[in-house]
Amino acid sequence: MRMSNAKLGLLIFWPTFWTGFPIKMVIALLLLAAHVHPWEGAGLQALLLLSIPVDIWALGLCTRTVLLERINVDPPKGTGLRLWGYWAAFSVVYLPLLSFIVSGVKALTLAATEATIHVVEDNIVVIPIAEKISLELVMWGTPTTIVLIILLYGWLWGLGAMAQRFVRTATSVDGTFQDIVCRWDFLRIPKDQPLVLTAFTGTGVVLVLLFWGLIPVSTPHPHEEYEFVHVQKVEEKIVPKDVMKRAEQTLARAEATLKELETDKPASERPEEKTSALTKTVEAESK
Amino acid sequence: MNNQSEPAHQPNAFEKVVDFVDERVGLKTIQAKMLNEPVPGGSRWAYAFGSCLLFIFIMQVVTGILLMFYYVPSTDHAYASTQYIIHEVDYGWFLLSYHFWGSSAMVVMVFAHMSQVFLWGAYKKPRELVWLVGLALFGLVMAFGFTGYLLPWDQRAYWATVVGVEIMDKTPIIGDFMSRFLKGGPTPGQMTLSRFFVIHVMILPAALMGLAGLHLFLFRKAGPAGPFRGTPEQIKAKTDYFFPRQIWKDIVAMASVFLIICSLAFIEPVVLLEEATPDPGDYHPEPEWYFLFLFQMLRLKIFAGEFGQFLGAVAIPGAFLAFLAALPFLDKNPERNIFRRPIALIGWIAIMAGILIFTVSAVLNREFLH
Repeated sequence: MRMSNAKLGLLIFWPTFWTGFPIKMVIALLLLAAHVHPWEGAGLQALLLLSIPVDIWALGLCTRTVLLERINVDPPKGTGLRLWGYWAAFSVVYLPLLSFIVSGVKALTLAATEATIHVVEDNIVVIPIAEKISLELVMWGTPTTIVLIILLYGWLWGLGAMAQRFVRTATSVDGTFQDIVCRWDFLRIPKDQPLVLTAFTGTGVVLVLLFWGLIPVSTPHPHEEYEFVHVQKVEEKIVPKDVMKRAEQTLARAEATLKELETDKPASERPEEKTSALTKTVEAESK
Repeated sequence: MNNQSEPAHQPNAFEKVVDFVDERVGLKTIQAKMLNEPVPGGSRWAYAFGSCLLFIFIMQVVTGILLMFYYVPSTDHAYASTQYIIHEVDYGWFLLSYHFWGSSAMVVMVFAHMSQVFLWGAYKKPRELVWLVGLALFGLVMAFGFTGYLLPWDQRAYWATVVGVEIMDKTPIIGDFMSRFLKGGPTPGQMTLSRFFVIHVMILPAALMGLAGLHLFLFRKAGPAGPFRGTPEQIKAKTDYFFPRQIWKDIVAMASVFLIICSLAFIEPVVLLEEATPDPGDYHPEPEWYFLFLFQMLRLKIFAGEFGQFLGAVAIPGAFLAFLAALPFLDKNPERNIFRRPIALIGWIAIMAGILIFTVSAVLNREFLH
């Protein structure tokens, strides 16, 4: 069964990306939780280094699957490592070149767009801001995107061309689609469904526990402008015996004041004086 | 004789528990039904969107309930309680940020799922009802985003709601009633917050659970559409079962979505602006990012004025949604291969490019506002 290089490249790249991606994300997230940024310095180096065996495994697994299912051939063991080696060497040259060309096209089309807009605005009509933004974006974005897609197509074509070498040396496999799929599945996956699902769940639980153990309890990104104002709470020690004693003293004083007022002062002044004295006493106690 | 001499398998404690439950609820039958579902044409990464949506929704429910333990839906305390969640509650910053990014993930996933169904031609007979219920679910997801956005009660929340309700007000017949009902007064206040909160945590989840159940029921009834290429015989010959391939793809996709949301919560956690006031000050009102394309479209001169705003904010999106609802009944061609449906392919590319261009334009437009 013959397949074009670009199609074979895409068929291998797509599942390889998705197979390796969650494992890399787990590594990145654990690094983040441990306060190590995975996109700079040591974090990035660690992530890239740990991604290599993941990529080799994912590429081997997905290449074997695609070749078995789509082309009915079984490549030899070690395909992942060898194919990864070829593709890594190719990408080291190709991807910087891709970046250089795309940046060049973007700069060129951006300059051409600005010049064109200037000419139009100087000679024909002033374009409103909202319209101008979208127009400029379309004018430089379209050619840049087309060039990027063509170059990405070339990158996948390269992967497909390398994979074709393994197709030529692989042994052909007979049987229906189901036979091939089942045989390949049984090589990798235990038949016991609950066992597989339990293993997945168990791994997930371990990772979740590890994650919650690592992440900071309070936000690691306090906002500079709108930071929450922490109000220092003064903790008052309450000793029940002291409280009772103070209450008794207050009551005793209040009683004494009342008696004093009733016996010493004229009747017309009593209510007002009584209230103010009580209030004063309670206020003094509460302080 | 031989059989009698062989020792009988003695089930262990775990197997006994499983057997006990199985006898009463038919656990093994459910497991067989769930895992051994035939997938015509084999498993695909493209089929993982629906599972991912369900997963994101469950996570939104879990994080939402945890947030509700601390959030106070009153104008006096909404902002302070959200600040409290971010700064004081253990892991509160992460839960809130996860919930925030989860809502964006849900919108992205709904878009991806709808695109996949459209491109695969899976809305065609006999799956018209699945498509219609899916469209209603899309509306609910958008409503979730809109109502949840107000709850932190900061300037961003307040003004996004003001803009959103104003747009709603332009809808003929029901617009005025809807905007008055949602606001509960002349300006957004306590009544608005209470109503948005109730809609967000009570009405929408109930509606979504009901419709999602109906969506799944209709999907199981009609069966998976399978790939759009190949004869029925070829597709049948490649039929695979849900376990292990499709379940592996679903698990990988769900794990990826979960990890992306977690990473976003770490890299860009939720931070509040100033507390909501009826004076925007220096703040330029802007809706959530998935409504930005519409917001930017309304800035175009063609949509200036009362009629223009109605056209851009209500008539065109409304007509587009009505077209999507009528699509399975308008498009009677049984051809599902997207490469043999050039109008559908070009239309989809044009809409996606339009959304992308206007969203990026809205971001670039921010420079001109200061």
